[in-house]
Amino acid sequence: MAKKILRINMTNLKAAYEDVPEKWSRWAGRGLTSAIVCDEVDPMCHPLGPNNKLVIAPGWVTGSPAAPSSGRTSFGGKSPLTGGIKESNAGGLSGQMIAKLGLAAIIVEGTPAKGKWYTLIVSNDGVEFQDAADLMGKGMYEVDDLLWKKYPKTAVIGIGQAGEMKLSNAGISVNDPENKPGRYAGRGGMGAVMGARGVKAMIVVDKGGPGVEIANQDLFKQGRKKLTESIQEHGLTKKGGGLNAFGTAVLVNILNEAGGLPTRNFSAGQFEGAAKISGEAIAEVCEKRGGEGMMGHGCHPGCIIKCSNIYPDETGEAVVSCIEYETTWAMGANCGIDKLDFIAQMTRECNDIGLDTIEAGNTVAMAMEGGLLEFGDAEGALKTFDEIRKGTPLGRILGQGVEATAKAFGVNRVPTVKGQSMPAYEPRAVKGIGVTYATSPMGADHTAGYTIAPEIAGVSGKLDPLSNEGKAELSLTFQAATAFIDSTGYCLFIAFPILDIAKGWEGMAESVAGVTGLAITGADVVPLGKEILKMERLFNEKAGFTAEDDRPPEFMREESLPPHNVKWTITDEQLDSVFAWVHNGHKD
Amino acid sequence: MEASKRTITVNVCLYGSLARFGNGRYVAQLDIELDLGAGKTDLLTHLGIPQSERGYLFINAVLCDVPGLNTGANELLNDGDHVGIFSTDRLFPFQYRDGLPMSEGLRTALKAHGAMHHSYQ
Repeated sequence: MAKKILRINMTNLKAAYEDVPEKWSRWAGRGLTSAIVCDEVDPMCHPLGPNNKLVIAPGWVTGSPAAPSSGRTSFGGKSPLTGGIKESNAGGLSGQMIAKLGLAAIIVEGTPAKGKWYTLIVSNDGVEFQDAADLMGKGMYEVDDLLWKKYPKTAVIGIGQAGEMKLSNAGISVNDPENKPGRYAGRGGMGAVMGARGVKAMIVVDKGGPGVEIANQDLFKQGRKKLTESIQEHGLTKKGGGLNAFGTAVLVNILNEAGGLPTRNFSAGQFEGAAKISGEAIAEVCEKRGGEGMMGHGCHPGCIIKCSNIYPDETGEAVVSCIEYETTWAMGANCGIDKLDFIAQMTRECNDIGLDTIEAGNTVAMAMEGGLLEFGDAEGALKTFDEIRKGTPLGRILGQGVEATAKAFGVNRVPTVKGQSMPAYEPRAVKGIGVTYATSPMGADHTAGYTIAPEIAGVSGKLDPLSNEGKAELSLTFQAATAFIDSTGYCLFIAFPILDIAKGWEGMAESVAGVTGLAITGADVVPLGKEILKMERLFNEKAGFTAEDDRPPEFMREESLPPHNVKWTITDEQLDSVFAWVHNGHKD
Repeated sequence: MEASKRTITVNVCLYGSLARFGNGRYVAQLDIELDLGAGKTDLLTHLGIPQSERGYLFINAVLCDVPGLNTGANELLNDGDHVGIFSTDRLFPFQYRDGLPMSEGLRTALKAHGAMHHSYQ
């Protein structure tokens, strides 16, 4: 049975199934959300207006039987934070259930009557539009609880108060296997786009769905086996490996030792309290306090990496899942805070109100830089989230993210690109990621440039790590590979085993080819990724973006970053060369 | 007198499973006294960390080794230096270290190795 597009019109409250048109038939995940946004969303539209759309798509292999760590869901639209195209993806329960309903994508469009909000029940029987009045004003912990009482074991996609207020830092929550919010399509304000459609929550019930059709069972099983073995063998992704034992926050100490951990609003590259907020410290807390606390938690069924954690309070009761690297950095080092218990509370606030933790932490740091708080004031930082939840004038400014807060407090040191704040890698110290921050169509995004085997792209061995030469080519290769992986439905962390273990790379491509029937091999990864990037870049150009939007913040060119005392040194010409091929005809 | 000092003291952080060499659970921080003129490999020998367990190593925020490569370069240590040593199971994607300052010994070793990987095991 061929996959369908489910189109939900919030103006007339009708839903329709459509065949997937030929032009979209080879895409899934990010590739599909971006293709639909490019075809159906006016690049000049207001992101919160009636002409924007929310597009939701599982990856190619999502929902297929036992494809390892493949539960990602892509959310696409025009971003209120950047003004450009956005794809933000999340784990949790939604992707597999949408896929098992036989859906390639869900398009939510139109706007209901003013003041009307809905909960959408998406099942094999169609779409039911329920008045969401009983959920309005509630945070995502309560929303998830209430909806599971009526619809147990379903996927809950929802927005907190931030999305209701259509704040530019509002994310979209997906529930995890324990029905807690915390799997966020966080970046870029997609929660505000969902709110602008008048949708408070969407329930996905996969019961009775046709499941995911496998075009070539033998090829799929062969690829799945290779990829699974690679994940289980690799030191970072195997059981008890770095990710499983310490979570993504295993990066804190290493970036700190390297002098690349942004500290106190990107004013230094090392934080004296780094060890206290690291993955190692989180693991020690979980061991000491016990109870519900744990490392090695999986964010969706079928994950074999399990890099999530459940952080406990002093009694062992769960506070939040999960404290990621970016989260503990944003709320911690970047705010000068070394208290894990406060970081956990702030993370819970973000998950409840519906905020991206990276943008939220950077915003608190911006408020500290602007004098609202002192760096290191953990109690004061935690209270700022009450302001956002209540929608006070201050809260509405903070909820708009870093750039709005910088303007409100007269700060000129603003670590953003295309309106989106930088994640936890200082681009003056880690120059390779800086090119990606500057040029990604998504704005400053660490996941946009995830690595693949560079030798496959023909750039192996050419690069002097201390030179700027070749960084543009490398960044493009990484961005393209990421766009591909974001389309597969696999977690980005498969990047490690597929890079280091040859059969992993083959397995990824073979499993995608096995599910879809498309003739995809490892050699197609970068070219297909570049096609996605080209779509996204052209959308941004039509939205008014120019080369000037592919630039780092001014202060990074002028301020030296300790301990290495380095400034941004990549030239504008090098940045412009990353996507020059979009218009000069060289596709590969 | 300072001029006649025959030893140096370096501050060392050991991460992950290596913390056991400093009596820690997952992180251990300690000061180590070494002979004047000692280097990176002398420190590793002093700590008793087997080669197979040596991962990323930083001296004063300069990357000096990566898992599996074990350059063997014996970068000189000075009094007051800080050294961070990680176990081999570290998450440190290539793009997050591309462009970081690194020692001449590691730079030479990476050029000889050729391909870029997350780890070199």
